[in-house]
Amino acid sequence: MNASPAPTLEVDLEHRVSASLTLKIAFALGREIGVVFGGSGAGKSTLLRLIAGLVRPDSGRIVLDGEVLFDSRARRGVSLRRRGIGMIYQDDLLFPHLSVRENIAFGLHGMRSGLAADRVAEAAAACGVERLLDRRPATLSGGERQRVGLARALAPGPRLLLCDEPFSALDMGRRNALVVRLLDIQRSRGLPILHVTHSPAEAVALGGTMLLLEQGRIAAVGPPIELLAGQKRPAVAWSPLANVFHAVLDSQLPDQGGSRLALDGGLALVVPRLDRPAGSPVLVQIRADDILLARGAVSGISARNQIEGVVERVITHGHEVEVVIGAGGRTFLVSLVAAAARQLEIAPGAAVVLIIKARSCRVLDDDESSPAPS
Amino acid sequence: MGDLGPFWLSLRVASVATLLDVALGGPLALVLARGRFHGKSLMAGVLMLPLVLPPTVLGYLLLMLLGRRSPVGGWIEHAFGGALVFHWTGAAVAAAVAAFPLFLIPARSAFETVDPMLEDAARLLGRHEFSVLWSVTLPLAWRGLVAGVVLAFARALGDFGATLMVAGDIPGRTQTAALAIYDAVQAGDNARAGGLAVLISIVSIAALMVAQFRGRPRGAGA
Repeated sequence: MNASPAPTLEVDLEHRVSASLTLKIAFALGREIGVVFGGSGAGKSTLLRLIAGLVRPDSGRIVLDGEVLFDSRARRGVSLRRRGIGMIYQDDLLFPHLSVRENIAFGLHGMRSGLAADRVAEAAAACGVERLLDRRPATLSGGERQRVGLARALAPGPRLLLCDEPFSALDMGRRNALVVRLLDIQRSRGLPILHVTHSPAEAVALGGTMLLLEQGRIAAVGPPIELLAGQKRPAVAWSPLANVFHAVLDSQLPDQGGSRLALDGGLALVVPRLDRPAGSPVLVQIRADDILLARGAVSGISARNQIEGVVERVITHGHEVEVVIGAGGRTFLVSLVAAAARQLEIAPGAAVVLIIKARSCRVLDDDESSPAPS
Repeated sequence: MGDLGPFWLSLRVASVATLLDVALGGPLALVLARGRFHGKSLMAGVLMLPLVLPPTVLGYLLLMLLGRRSPVGGWIEHAFGGALVFHWTGAAVAAAVAAFPLFLIPARSAFETVDPMLEDAARLLGRHEFSVLWSVTLPLAWRGLVAGVVLAFARALGDFGATLMVAGDIPGRTQTAALAIYDAVQAGDNARAGGLAVLISIVSIAALMVAQFRGRPRGAGA
C-alpha cells in the first residue's frame, strides 16, 4: 500500500455482513505491517476472516504472493488449509487439551518428527516460550498464552500473519513487549502482517501503514501517526508505547549508579542500575513527553543522555506538537508545547539534541515470570 | 442363583445397543450441534421420541417396522439370512432405540460446548475435517460423550418393555436379565431374582464410576 514495489497481498472484496454493514475494501500490502484500525462494528475482524478463508466473500478477489486465493468471477477459492496464512486471536484459542509443545506443533502435522521438533524449537525461541513447552495453556498467564499462540501460527512458516486484536486483553507492559516482539519477527522474516486493533497506542507503536476502517470502507491509508493526528486527540496522548527500543546491557557504571545500554543501531543510553549480566537483552521505553529538545549540546545539566538527531516531521495538534526525530538509526517521538517548538524553530531537517534523564528510561519485561526475553 | 445366561445376554445386548447408539447418534449429535438447516428442531424432536413414548408403544412400532412381513424386516431377512424379531439382535435394536436419546442429548451438548473458533483455528493450521474432529472436537467433547455412553448403556441394560415386544421372552435365546428377573419373581424364585438384580446393579454402578473417573476435565492442571 505504500512504496513497496510488489505487493504481497492484494485484496479487493465486497461482503455483506449485516443489514447495516457491507464491507467494500480494496488494498495491497507489501512485506510490512498493515494496521487495520477502527471502532467496533467497522468490520475489522470480518475482513481478516474473509482473507483467511473462514468466511466466503460475496464477491471480489484475494491474491497472496501471486497466487489467486479467491476470485468470485473465476469461481476460484483455495481451501483455507492451503492458504498458508497464520492467525492469532484475541481469545488466544490455544487447544486446552494439548501441551504448549503440542499446540505449537499442531500445524506441522505430517512433517517428519525431527524436522517438526526443530520448527517447534525455532518458533518457541522466536516467541520466548522455550521454557513453557511442557505446560498446559490453563497454567499460563495472558501474555504467555499470546506468545504461544504466536509461536503456533509461525511454526508452519506462513506467508501472511493475521492478528485479530491479539493484545487487547493484556495490560500495557505486556502489550508493549509483545508489540516489540511482533515488530522484530516481522523485520527478521520479512513477513507481511495484517494487524487489527482499536487501540491508537498500539497502532502508533506498530507503525507501518494504517488502514482506517469506518463503516466497512477504508476511510484513509497512511502512517498511523499522521492518520491519528488528523483526529481530535493528539497521537502522543495515546502513545505511551512510542519510543520502545530493543537494547543490550553494555556495561555497569558504578560511579554513576547506573547501567549503560547499547540500543539496536548503536546508540548508548544510560539508565538506572540494572542487576543483570552484561549482554542481557533489554526492552527500554521512554515516554514522548519525558524527552527535552535542545538546538545544541547542553553543559551543566543533570540529565545523563544527550542524543543528536534530525527532525523528520512535525505534527501540530493545537497547543501541542509531536516531533518525529531520527537519531542513530532509530525513530524517536517527542511531545512539546507548540510555543516551545516555535521558539526553538523546530522544523523538518533541523538538527536537535534529545535530552533524556536516566530515570525516564523504563525497562520493560515480557512477563513477570520470564524477565529476559532471548 | 443358577443360570447366568440372562446376565451375559443382557451385557451383550446392552453393549451392541450402545455401539449402535454411538455409531448413529455421534454423527447426528454433531449435525444437531453444528448444522444450520431447516427442520432441525423437528429432527431433534423426532429423535427424542423414545424418551416420551411408552416402551411398549416403542416396541410395537419396532415390531411393525421390523417384522417379517414388513418391507424393512423382509429386506433384513433376505440380506442377512435371519430376522431381527424374536432374536437377541432384535433385543439389541429395541434397547438401542429406547436408549438413543440418552446418548444423543449429552453428546449434542458436549459438541455444543466446543468453541467452533477452535475448530477454525485447527483448519487454518492445515488440518482436514476428520483431523479437526479427531484432534480437537472429540478430545474436548470427551467428557459429555462418555456420560452419554454410560447413560445409554445403563438404559439399554435395563430395557424391559421394548425388548419384550420385539424379541419376546424366550429363555436361553432372548430372555435378558430384566425379563428373567420378572419371570423369577412371578415364579416365586426370589433368590434368582435377587442375584440377577445385584449383578445388574453392580455393572451399572461400575459403569457410572468409570464415567466419573474418565470424565475428569482434561487440560486443567499441568
